[in-house]
Amino acid sequence: MQPKTTILVIDDEEVVLDSCTQVLAGPQCRVLTASNGADGLRLVQEAQPDLVFLDLKMPGLSGFEVLDRIRTLQPLLVVIVITGYATVSSAVEAMKKGAFDFLPKPFTPEELRLITRRGLEHHRLVQEAARLRREKEMLRENFAAIVSHELKSPLAAIQQNLYALTAQLEDKLTEPQKELCQRLKMRLDDLLKLIHSWLRIMSVDPDKLKETFKPVSLAGVVAKALESVQPHATRKAITIETVVAPELPTVQGDEGSLTEVLVNLLNNAVKYSYPNSQVTVTVQPQNSHVLMAVQDRGVGIAPEDLPHLFQDFVRGRAQPEGAGGYGLGLAISRRIVEAHGGTIAVESQPGKGSTFTVRLPVAPATSASGSNPQTQV
Amino acid sequence: MSEPKRLLIIDDDPDFVAGIKSVLVNAKYQVDTAYNPKDGWQALKTKDYDLLLLDIMMGRGAEGIMIARKLNKDPKLRELPVLIITGIREQIAFLFPGQAVHPHFVPVDELVEKPVEPKLLLDKVEALLKAAAARKAQKS
Repeated sequence: MQPKTTILVIDDEEVVLDSCTQVLAGPQCRVLTASNGADGLRLVQEAQPDLVFLDLKMPGLSGFEVLDRIRTLQPLLVVIVITGYATVSSAVEAMKKGAFDFLPKPFTPEELRLITRRGLEHHRLVQEAARLRREKEMLRENFAAIVSHELKSPLAAIQQNLYALTAQLEDKLTEPQKELCQRLKMRLDDLLKLIHSWLRIMSVDPDKLKETFKPVSLAGVVAKALESVQPHATRKAITIETVVAPELPTVQGDEGSLTEVLVNLLNNAVKYSYPNSQVTVTVQPQNSHVLMAVQDRGVGIAPEDLPHLFQDFVRGRAQPEGAGGYGLGLAISRRIVEAHGGTIAVESQPGKGSTFTVRLPVAPATSASGSNPQTQV
Repeated sequence: MSEPKRLLIIDDDPDFVAGIKSVLVNAKYQVDTAYNPKDGWQALKTKDYDLLLLDIMMGRGAEGIMIARKLNKDPKLRELPVLIITGIREQIAFLFPGQAVHPHFVPVDELVEKPVEPKLLLDKVEALLKAAAARKAQKS
């Protein structure tokens, strides 16, 4: 039967190798020994030990060099150093380099057993944590695919049949009946959008986002976001004014995600505005940052709601008629902005309106990106 | 009056297929359906179609993509225009509404998201048929 645990001892003193084997080896535990660093490293790779005892002072490869290589080869491997010349400083240095603990020579069998138990327990925890991290990663990556298929498919089928039905009954339905169909469509649409938001919040991985960062012109982001929000604003008779400073420096980021942030902020501004009012988008440089602010003259946010605004699933209470939404937009926006090394903040006065300000660091070593004259829309 | 155009839908969700088929039949297209990639491929090999409506996520994964790849390898079938109708927009790209997306599985293709408004569906089908006809005219 294969023993459960493998322990590797690397030490140039045969007496240490022998005594460790004698104390630790048993039916559950295999003890391998190496009398120099090179052999030890070979066994680390071949035998995949769970725990390594490593002498710091050996001829040939020093213990510190072996420790360095182990950290590169197998970062999760638990290493306990044996310090013959029992100085605290070398033990501390080894621990700074990633050793889990140290065992001063000479040691008793009981001390060895104790530190071995602790080392193996740590090994188990490290492996467990790594497994959970992998699982979490897989779940996040696959969640998008699973949810999109399992939840969206039935909704898409319902919506598709409803579309077909209403189109074919166009000349037979009365106005109130058409309105009922319209309500069905809208609610289904909301549900599909909710699933989309869910997917976004689950799948925004800040580290992956960073891999695709490029210099982005915020003037372009404003133009794209406006295009997307304009129909919504027009329906409520809300004017969106944009004030983009000329000679705006670029920021380092992902254009699509930054546009999504501004679309979220603008949609909120429109949603919580009073009809016939104005929303203002301002983009201006400030020291080494660019500020992008969205100001509305709407219902505002109660002071007690402000601290929770950027958390998942929170929505302000003061809502005008028909304002839907699930409070995910701001949480997604915050994650995106933070992935860009920026911040998002809000100021609000109930009854007067709110201003959301995104602060993004300027891209390193960029000059002004073209000239964007002050524009009014 | 020209012959009605022949369309094939490959999608494993019969309820969704009913929804788009009904729109297309009303617009005087002749529509065949296949509810799995195997039957779909069989139909493509044995009958002549003017356009394929293809779902991506079928069965155990993106089996629709396998069909699109096989189509592109077939010298005759690669000329068939394909409208990909899928719910997986999120994973393909972050897109803006109304923008046409060419997945480039075959020379003439486009992508729309489920559910698709009847007017948008008919516009896309018509545009793809025209694009395929123009390509054919140019080649001969």
